[in-house]
Amino acid sequence: MITSKDTVEEALRKAKAKKVYLEGNFVKILSKTLPADVKEYVEECKARDKNARRKRLDVTKQVQAQNKELEEAATVNKALVIELQNEKDEAEKLRDKAVEDLDVLQKRTQFELVGQIVRVALVIIVSVGIVSTTMYLVGLMMNRDTTLLGNAWTNLIGILLTNSFSIIGTIMGVKYATGEGK
Amino acid sequence: MIDSILLVDDEDLFHLVFEDACSLLDMTLSLQALDSSDEADKLFKKWFVEGPIDERPECVFVDLNIIGSSFDGIELIRKINTDYGNGVVIGIISSSDDNQEIEKAKAVGAQFWIIKSDEIEPRLEEFVKDYEGYKNKENPFKVYK
Repeated sequence: MITSKDTVEEALRKAKAKKVYLEGNFVKILSKTLPADVKEYVEECKARDKNARRKRLDVTKQVQAQNKELEEAATVNKALVIELQNEKDEAEKLRDKAVEDLDVLQKRTQFELVGQIVRVALVIIVSVGIVSTTMYLVGLMMNRDTTLLGNAWTNLIGILLTNSFSIIGTIMGVKYATGEGK
Repeated sequence: MIDSILLVDDEDLFHLVFEDACSLLDMTLSLQALDSSDEADKLFKKWFVEGPIDERPECVFVDLNIIGSSFDGIELIRKINTDYGNGVVIGIISSSDDNQEIEKAKAVGAQFWIIKSDEIEPRLEEFVKDYEGYKNKENPFKVYK
């Protein structure tokens, strides 16, 4: 082992014997007037240090380049994620709009059907009203007994009038819902 | 050979690259690396106020954008040159070659601008050749591309 009593030369000789090689800038400040064997050892240390540094420099540069590539890839990925998110949001908006349109279409179809039913019902009611009124008028003009016909006509007109309001109301509602009124 | 160098750069990997490149080119025997301009600012302030002033490095390489620091490399150069008595060879080492930034650095007293790339050694070698001129304040500002 190297002790405090050793001179620099002795210490270097001991290191050489143990095949321990010095590294770093310390080697560069060792005197150039050392004995030949020690000088040879110092030169060997310098060469090894230079070799190790060259290797480390190459590896560090490779790592640096890979890091740069990874950083660039991460930036591209981030941009892609944002783009995908925007496209997803857009697709969701379109889907919601389509669902809404479908709903409106279904409702409109239903309202149109109801409208037709109501219109047919109104035609029937008006027709029944016209027929019963005609029969009643004919009975009156021909001086026939119209008691039964008169009661029936009164009842029928009363019922028809009551129902007509409800039917007209329904028609207005259907027109509003289907947008026909606009 | 430069007596002592201080590198201020936030990238630890670049510290290793710079140290090995300096060693291979026999640029200096003493290299200190810091990763923030705040740390460098504290040290220069201490050397300027408390001394000893000869503890200061002979040459300072500063990165332009030092992530995690309160101010960038140009501001650090301005502080060293204006607030802390100047007296060092100082410049930028950066991957940027933005002309506006180069002009700003020049305006605050930077003496050189070295562009970082995979092949930093040839630029450092050229810089070492010009170093005496910077030390004696004879060389004009130069960009090492």
